[in-house]
Amino acid sequence: MAEINLKAETGRPKGSRPAKRLRAAGKVPAVVYGLGSDPTPVTVDWRELRQALTTEAGLNALIDLELGGDTKLSIVKELQRDPVHHSVEHVDFLLIRRDQAIVVDVPIVLEGDAEAVTREDGMIDHVLTAIAVHAMPADIPNEITVDISEMAIGDAVRVGDLSLPAGVTTDLDPEEAVVMASISSTSLEAAEIEAADAEVAAEQAAETDAAGEGAEPEAGADGDGAEAAGGGGADAGAEGGDEG
Amino acid sequence: MLMPRKVKHRKQHRGRRTGAAKGGSTVSFGEYGIQALEPGWVTARQIEASRIAMTRHIKRGGKVWINVFPDKPVTEKPAETRMGSGKGNPERWVAVVKPGRVLFELSYHDPVVAREALDRAIQKLPIKARVITRKEGF
Repeated sequence: MAEINLKAETGRPKGSRPAKRLRAAGKVPAVVYGLGSDPTPVTVDWRELRQALTTEAGLNALIDLELGGDTKLSIVKELQRDPVHHSVEHVDFLLIRRDQAIVVDVPIVLEGDAEAVTREDGMIDHVLTAIAVHAMPADIPNEITVDISEMAIGDAVRVGDLSLPAGVTTDLDPEEAVVMASISSTSLEAAEIEAADAEVAAEQAAETDAAGEGAEPEAGADGDGAEAAGGGGADAGAEGGDEG
Repeated sequence: MLMPRKVKHRKQHRGRRTGAAKGGSTVSFGEYGIQALEPGWVTARQIEASRIAMTRHIKRGGKVWINVFPDKPVTEKPAETRMGSGKGNPERWVAVVKPGRVLFELSYHDPVVAREALDRAIQKLPIKARVITRKEGF
């Protein structure tokens, strides 16, 4: 894993208002701690931070933090963001050692299309999107990929099924689900709606049939009436003709 | 419609809706979400209307999560009533929403259909909102 240099300035004033001024000037307030040292408030440049954290390693990039003349190996422990603007508000850097294993969250990425699941109106439920792993800093994987192209409804990929690289372990329960292929609630709801619609349609059809059966004799009666009326008219006409 | 099964107090004060959401501002379960951009009260009816709009559009093969719950009773006095005589009767239930809060989440294999479904759900809400996706990385 490549290491990235990042300059950090010490001696930043504490408090929310100076922090706001820093953010307006394109800086990000941060804190450095770990390995028994006291927490040190620092400032990093936003552009440099973005460059450091947009490599293939993502948020788990190893950062050589230039701090007061010497360089310290660190990793981003936490990134605070504005909930609406999504801008970076604050960063926690954790000092680490190359020969000491650390715990980091590694993203789990799905690969392929589960066509068998989509065909049956199911869905892929990505339950666990990141996994906490123990690894030496140099062995931290960028991501863990899971192939879902062979999945069918009812299948599940569990933590025990993940292929972790050498030197990487996890404390999670091997039976914990990572990805599940199941019939979705919307499919069930759609099926219920369709069943209800079919029931209503069947009822309506039955009613119209019943009405049709009942209407036939009525229509016959109307026909008789019409015939009677017509007959009457004809009679009347005939009578009129007779009169004329 | 969503509503609490039982409550300790039938009537509540209106409260203030200042500031941004303290939590629940990221997509946690699905792939897409609806994020509030302004504060407001979202009623149980509006939540249900949004849910129906989404599920009717995606039809099959997706999953919807509702991340807010209408647990605040709103009272109203009857029409043409003189002021006084105490607080009105509980009429509906609302969820207090602040900017940044993710109201709904959706998981669906087709991004175009998913976005359209969420856009339709936003139309049912009384506040400005936007569609967001699950963000990994910086």
